[in-house]
Amino acid sequence: MLKPWQAALYQALLVMTSLVMLYPVAVMVLSAFKTTGEIYASPFALPESFALRNLATIWHETRFLAYLGNSLLVTATSIALMLAAGTLAAYALARYAFRGNEAIYLFFLAGLMVPLKLAVIPLFIELRALGLIDNRLGLVLVYAAIGLPSTVFIMTGFLRTIPAELEEAARIDGAGEGRILFRIMLPLSRPALVIAGIHNAVPIWNDFFFPLVLIQSDHAKTLPQGLTVFMGEYSTDWGVLFAGLTLSALPLTLIYVALSRQFIAGLTSGAVKG
Amino acid sequence: MGAFMPNMSPRLRRPLWIALLLTPALLLMIGFVTLPILSALVYAFYKWQGLARIGFAGFENFRLILFQPPFSTWTYNAFFHNLIVFVSLMVVQNGTAFFLAWMLSKGLRLHRFHQVSLFLPVILSTVIIGFLWKLFLNPLFGLVNQTLVAIGLASWAQPWLGQPSTALASLIVVNAWHWVGFPTLVYLAAMQRIPREILESAEIDGAGEWTRIRRIVWPLVAPATTIVVILTFIGSFNWFELPYIMSGLEGPPFHSTDVLGLYFYRTAFGTVSAALQDFGRGSALAVLIFLFILCISAWWVRILRRREIDL
Amino acid sequence: MSPLFRLGATLALAVSAAAPAFAAELTFWSWRQEDRAAYQEIIADFNKLHPDVKIKFEAFEPTSYNTILSTALAGGKGPDLIQARAYGGLEAFAKPGYFLALDKTMVPELDNFAPDVLAAESMREDGKVYAVPFATQTVLILYNKELFQKNGVNPPESWEDMIAAAKAFKAKGVMPFANGTATAWQNEILMGAFGPSLYGREFNGDLVSGKATFQDKRFVDALAKLTELKEHLPQGFTGVDYPTMQQLFISGRAAMIAAGSFEIANFRRQNPKLEIGVIPGPAAAKGGPRLVSLFVDGGYAINAKTEHRADAIKFIRYVATPRFGDLFSSKLGNISPIKGVKIEDGLLADVARLNASSSPYVMLVNFRYQEPTGSTLIQSGVQKMMAGQATPVEVGADVTKGIAAYYKPFQK
Repeated sequence: MLKPWQAALYQALLVMTSLVMLYPVAVMVLSAFKTTGEIYASPFALPESFALRNLATIWHETRFLAYLGNSLLVTATSIALMLAAGTLAAYALARYAFRGNEAIYLFFLAGLMVPLKLAVIPLFIELRALGLIDNRLGLVLVYAAIGLPSTVFIMTGFLRTIPAELEEAARIDGAGEGRILFRIMLPLSRPALVIAGIHNAVPIWNDFFFPLVLIQSDHAKTLPQGLTVFMGEYSTDWGVLFAGLTLSALPLTLIYVALSRQFIAGLTSGAVKG
Repeated sequence: MGAFMPNMSPRLRRPLWIALLLTPALLLMIGFVTLPILSALVYAFYKWQGLARIGFAGFENFRLILFQPPFSTWTYNAFFHNLIVFVSLMVVQNGTAFFLAWMLSKGLRLHRFHQVSLFLPVILSTVIIGFLWKLFLNPLFGLVNQTLVAIGLASWAQPWLGQPSTALASLIVVNAWHWVGFPTLVYLAAMQRIPREILESAEIDGAGEWTRIRRIVWPLVAPATTIVVILTFIGSFNWFELPYIMSGLEGPPFHSTDVLGLYFYRTAFGTVSAALQDFGRGSALAVLIFLFILCISAWWVRILRRREIDL
Repeated sequence: MSPLFRLGATLALAVSAAAPAFAAELTFWSWRQEDRAAYQEIIADFNKLHPDVKIKFEAFEPTSYNTILSTALAGGKGPDLIQARAYGGLEAFAKPGYFLALDKTMVPELDNFAPDVLAAESMREDGKVYAVPFATQTVLILYNKELFQKNGVNPPESWEDMIAAAKAFKAKGVMPFANGTATAWQNEILMGAFGPSLYGREFNGDLVSGKATFQDKRFVDALAKLTELKEHLPQGFTGVDYPTMQQLFISGRAAMIAAGSFEIANFRRQNPKLEIGVIPGPAAAKGGPRLVSLFVDGGYAINAKTEHRADAIKFIRYVATPRFGDLFSSKLGNISPIKGVKIEDGLLADVARLNASSSPYVMLVNFRYQEPTGSTLIQSGVQKMMAGQATPVEVGADVTKGIAAYYKPFQK
């Protein structure tokens, strides 16, 4: 139990931290209502008006809803694919002894260490051969592959900490490998899945490099890619960009808030009696 | 193997099952990561002019990057900065994350609100974060300098991003602000799994808060630390987006914020206003970065895993 | 296979099947996001002459444009018409054979350009032209006419005049200059605006031939003079970046800005009430020559592998005509290098007049062909010098040493 002064101190620190975290976000949201000139002239004041002119610009000059839909589709599918394949592989690496275990683990980890942008030309050529240029599926496969290393890394880390007794008990009860994996191991790994999912969902959602290179048609563009239209050579329309990027952050935020409830539930259910 | 992985049933061999588990991920990785990367790494052994391969270069590109000024100067300068970034982030970002997680784990009032607000910056695009903080750090009308003047510390107001002494540090602080939510979450998850009885009995035995943190919590969250250390290490050496937005591809002021990620990008793809594309040198640099991170990570993994076992 | 895969395969088929239906639609790629609307008008005008050639204009984020273009060309899916850079930037694409070589039989309108302008869009090794130039840009000083009038200051002609003007502005609480050194390439602009008037007309030629290097007294003295500007730049100028600089001038808080002529269209758009004037960098001594820096901005090229060569050539010929040049200058606020173009806008006409007394924008034109480029070296050199961390002599030496690694005339 915490002494009252300790609880008060912790609360104070947490409140301060939250303020430091939220204040810039508030500035961002307010800036979404300003023009570029206004952002520089009075960056921290309230906007002159809450007119939705920036939003109107986005609506008229980009296919915002289409881009949003594409981003949702691409991100969700990539995450699903990556978590599925990654967790299976992590399970094998974490719970089974076999020759080459460490080597395969390092092989996956190595995928984190190269700047993947380097491979953009061979990747383009390969996707073109597969007919996947200008195709959201191509983007999904690339993102899923890119996210595998960190997924495998995080999931292996968590799966290894689950005690063997659980497994043994289940085996004695006659459960097969599949059952053990899906009925016991996976539910216990919910927090890790959330962490791995978030760790990859955010960069995928916000990425514009790969879409810019691999997607050429307007109907398949993702949201950040679509918003780059406001980044000019000598001037960037920051007001509009802020509005767009604020909107772009909403889906992930909502998902996170919803998931955090899950997450806390997952956390407490994960505490194993030792 | 048993001692290395204590929770495993050593006698079980299910080769087919294991292969099934591994195949989808391996196929994806090899198809869309490994093969393209290997093709690209081959570029390092050729001479390039723009997009044209104009001859075999052997190890010339590597020689340029490692031994020929100004290229080599840039290489070591960038590398040194990456090291600084890694160490600083470990302390500033991950140290703070650990304590934040501890405080959150107490389940105080409003802790869910704090958890969400802490994590909110993580979700935001680096483009927005970089620009926002550039505004805050603007020497003329940035909030940081305005606040300093307002509270009477006008002499501390300086062009944070314009001086080599403060530029990199500023970027590190912004990065910590952006990402601290993530290691906090990882630590929180690990702390939540510590059985309450252990902590309670320690308290009954008279151990103070700090002692409990040092002797019980810290060792028991070793797996989380492994994850955080390795991801921070790799992230520090691949650092690109934030310095790109806040400083620019050349790592100004005069290369004091230059890191390997920026150096690689402008070498391989050029900049609009100065550097020319050179896939040969870019690939060579990527090869070297990769080898370095691979060796160190393999070593880290070994050490950290052993620590997990010991603890 | 999963429904997603089937969907993906169907999509891929649909996209590839749809392509031949749009016969003779050429794709035209550019990095000029700001100009999208103007290019639609240009294409509409082109269609008055050639109604059967459809052109689809696509603009991309400028810093990624090179990567996007490189990847598409390397992967065989490039556009038909390409907006390209000049000098070293052009050679990067022309050398691998991605651009179609243009000659007078294919494009007789090439005669509408001066030889040195065409040289900017040619490969040095074969002398062939690979793109039709679209604009020249000038590096000079823009000033706020209203602020000058209100404060009773005259546009300065000599360096002394300028320093006096700066002091006068400061006394009245107006920022003399908007410039900052935080953004790397702005340091090259600073040098480009003030340099030529200080180091003189012959210096460029001497550099190219190797008679002088960047350690020449003329250049080092010019650099030294730049440091005199420091006290007239905004406070904390080492942290003032490009957008901040622009905003300072646009909002009327600064009287002058060393900038490129490409800012004019941009500034006007953001503040239509701004009255902009242009002057060259001030002369070193009273009555001395005043020069601006000049360079070719870029050109339009044809993809060597295009399937619509004849149509593409029609467009390329169009953009080499004065008819296009007039439209281009008026719609895009840039100076077209085509002979016979009438520049309607007063300010642009002023710039065109100043171009008669110019020197090439030294690093871009001569030394951006190989790494380390002159631009990279001078940008960090001037930045360091203005921060007080390097002397003009050191900067001159660094730049010379870097370039001498590959530039034979310096290797003595």
